[in-house]
Amino acid sequence: MRHEHELCLGVECAWPPVPPPVARRPPRAQRRVRLALAIALLALGGWQFGRGAWLQAKAWLAQVLIAQAWQRTLAGDARAKPWPWADTWPVARLSVPSLGIERYVLEGADGAALAFGPGHLRGTALPGEQGNSVIGGHRDTHLAFLRRLAPGAQIVVETRSGGRRRYAVRYTQVLDRYDIWATRQEGPARLTLVTCFPFDALRAGGTQRYVVWAYAVDQPKNRGRERADRTSHLL
Amino acid sequence: MKYLQKKSLAGKIVLDLIVSVVLAAAMGIVAGVALAGVTLLFASQAEAAEAPLQGTLLLRPPGPGEPLSAPLLSTAVAFRVCGMVARARVVQTFRNSSADWYEGVYVLPLPDDAAVDRLRVRVGERTIEGEIQERALAQRTYDAARRYGTRAALMDQERPNIFTTRVANIGPQETIVVELEYQEAVRYVDGRFSLRFPMVIGPRYIPHGVADAPRITPAVLRPREGRAPVNPVSIRVELDAGMPLAQVSSPYHRVDVKVLDEARREITLAEGSTPANRDFVLHWVPRRESAPRLAWFTEKKGERYYALLMLMPPAAAGEQRLPREVVFVLDTSGSMAGASIRQAREALELALARLVPEDRFNVIEFNSTAQALFPQAREASAVRVERAIRWVRGLEARGGTEMAQALDLALDGRDSDERVRQVIFLTDGAIGNEEQLFRLMRERLGGSRLFTIGIGSAPNSHFMRKAAELGRGTFTYIGRVDEVGEKMAALFAKLEAPVLKGVTLRWPEQARVEAWPARIPDLYAGEPLVVSAALERLEGELRVSGVRAGRIWEAHVPLSAGEGSAGMGSLWARAKVAALMDSMREGAPPEKVRGQVIALAIAHRLMTKYTSFVAVDRTPARSADAQLKLAELPTNLPEGWEYDKVFGELPQGATDSRFALLTGLLCLLLGISMLWFRRSAV
Repeated sequence: MRHEHELCLGVECAWPPVPPPVARRPPRAQRRVRLALAIALLALGGWQFGRGAWLQAKAWLAQVLIAQAWQRTLAGDARAKPWPWADTWPVARLSVPSLGIERYVLEGADGAALAFGPGHLRGTALPGEQGNSVIGGHRDTHLAFLRRLAPGAQIVVETRSGGRRRYAVRYTQVLDRYDIWATRQEGPARLTLVTCFPFDALRAGGTQRYVVWAYAVDQPKNRGRERADRTSHLL
Repeated sequence: MKYLQKKSLAGKIVLDLIVSVVLAAAMGIVAGVALAGVTLLFASQAEAAEAPLQGTLLLRPPGPGEPLSAPLLSTAVAFRVCGMVARARVVQTFRNSSADWYEGVYVLPLPDDAAVDRLRVRVGERTIEGEIQERALAQRTYDAARRYGTRAALMDQERPNIFTTRVANIGPQETIVVELEYQEAVRYVDGRFSLRFPMVIGPRYIPHGVADAPRITPAVLRPREGRAPVNPVSIRVELDAGMPLAQVSSPYHRVDVKVLDEARREITLAEGSTPANRDFVLHWVPRRESAPRLAWFTEKKGERYYALLMLMPPAAAGEQRLPREVVFVLDTSGSMAGASIRQAREALELALARLVPEDRFNVIEFNSTAQALFPQAREASAVRVERAIRWVRGLEARGGTEMAQALDLALDGRDSDERVRQVIFLTDGAIGNEEQLFRLMRERLGGSRLFTIGIGSAPNSHFMRKAAELGRGTFTYIGRVDEVGEKMAALFAKLEAPVLKGVTLRWPEQARVEAWPARIPDLYAGEPLVVSAALERLEGELRVSGVRAGRIWEAHVPLSAGEGSAGMGSLWARAKVAALMDSMREGAPPEKVRGQVIALAIAHRLMTKYTSFVAVDRTPARSADAQLKLAELPTNLPEGWEYDKVFGELPQGATDSRFALLTGLLCLLLGISMLWFRRSAV
């Protein structure tokens, strides 16, 4: 054992002689525990790291598959599933030319869809249509770019029929997760992009939401901002 | 390694110690890195919160932000119960601790048969008595006072159990007290008296076509850490039961009961006050030998006598069990999420387990849509019942409350002789389209009987009770999971025991009686006959008769033997208003009904849908240049409800990937370092 150790360290020949080990070794049981602990830590670490990497990899790989599905959508398949067992399908393509961003928006803003792309909140207008189109996404994957969107930035939406609509960011806002008045449909055509806030938080599940409001630019701007009242009774 | 080398050089310390030191150091480094990460995280959070977009202005579109901090509301309720009648005084204190002038608006529930007959406003030492006025007129009176800068209060009725209080011109650092009083008959069912005081309106689901939706949907306080519920309520009940009592209890609140004598108690909340987030209920049970069979209270007011009759038919003898067809309807909308759906599931399982193979049954669940377990009612074989129980266990609460669809499925409008058809409806009644549903029930009831089971901490009791009345069934209230067994047992007794039908009242000719309800409902086991009457003379005898299980039951009540009791007039007028409002559903012209209700309400100083209380101070308080701010006071979410299941939330937008990557990396580093030092140490 001692011999191996010296070999392994290589430079130990330069050391002065070390007194012979007498009762220096930790008891066998203790070493075993330590070994087990180390292995457990490695396993846990490997699993956690792998999980994190998988979440990221899945998010970006999926967009590639969805891009192919989008081609089928443009060709007329209204519900082109990116992979056979998917329960969602692309409904729009979002791009921000100034940042070189391109994202495919999926149907549904639940966890199952958001893992693979930004999701369109069911019940709100589809991107590119009249009304308020609410799109949610993860701040650490697809919608991380939201923090770089400043008022005035252009967003282009390609719809399923291949049409294009331009939007300009008008303002950004931090809301509470219960501020569902942000999803109300009245008012001019707009995109409401929602992601979690703060952007640099480690854990998911925060109560704040970062919201970007982008209004269609081909629309006459509605200067008198509508009164955003409670929507509790709409739900 | 150098470190290790030095150590071994300098100290000749045993290797074990070195290993320990090194391990500690490694752990320290790891902990340090982790701490640094956390610090960094918080630092960036703080920074980000200040400036989400560096160098750009954060524009805020108008939106309802925080519920306002001022003014604050607290409520004190005092009941005086005398026999069958309760008089309640609800004192709402609006305290404005800000430097601005405020108009406070609060939407509150009251018992659905409460006869609100008095409103007063207190400002400092002065008391302003409220007046009953036709609703639109009261609104104008109030608006004028508000603009003029005088203190004023207005109270409107939105539903039989939903009211709005508005208080204008609450000055800076000022307190305004609004006192309202109401009269109510306590309930006496299954040998137990009960008094119920609702404290919060469960957020209502509003389908299309409810015109006054904004008036019955107050803002609801959002659940947030460190945010205490609003509107603390203190309650005090002076109970004079008029008979020796065996037991007094409050199922949902801890109370202190002070025994004054064998019939009298004084009850207060043990905690002093409670957040207004669930109904308060008080039960009292008379001693067995003194359980009342008959009560006849009278009051003389003007030319007329007003009276309240309570008559308990004798317990049914013998049991004849007809084959039944039972349809269970379960509300699985978002408002039922949490404690409510658990209560409902448990109650439904009990009911299903009680079916016998001769019965037929079906289960319907509804939220945004309705669906039935079987296309048609089926024989209740053990296998089917087992299947139904499994199905019910798997149901979750989410989405809207499209109750009409469920009623459409459950009520077929048919009338069958061979079977008793019973529809058992489990819901919290959190809907705003009561009238539409009542009409539907009326049209489609046929030979069915509708039994409502009100679930949760704040069910819409007006809807439940009226639905049971229209459905010729009963209303059962289950406020907590541990009551399910007891309450369901009482309901089964009612479902299975013969009903007292065709109850008729023959009043003496000379009394010239006007009694409500005009048509006496079928009486189930344990239910008394309750009638409000106005008479010109208290002479002669009232004869009551009915038929139960083929046998005639008769009782005689001498009218002169009444006990004097105040407030009978208000109760009678309230019963008549309810009957008039119901008559619209049967086709009475609304304008005519409105006229009748207003005349009656003004004569009896009664709050109704068409008449409101308004109180206006004389002297202006706010100068014209001081601005008046509006504060719509939020209400609490009823206890046990889940906010996001009712209102929804914005999509959640983050994964745990960063956390997983970081912790994974730390664990890997730690594991590797341990292996490394294990080797070097040995």
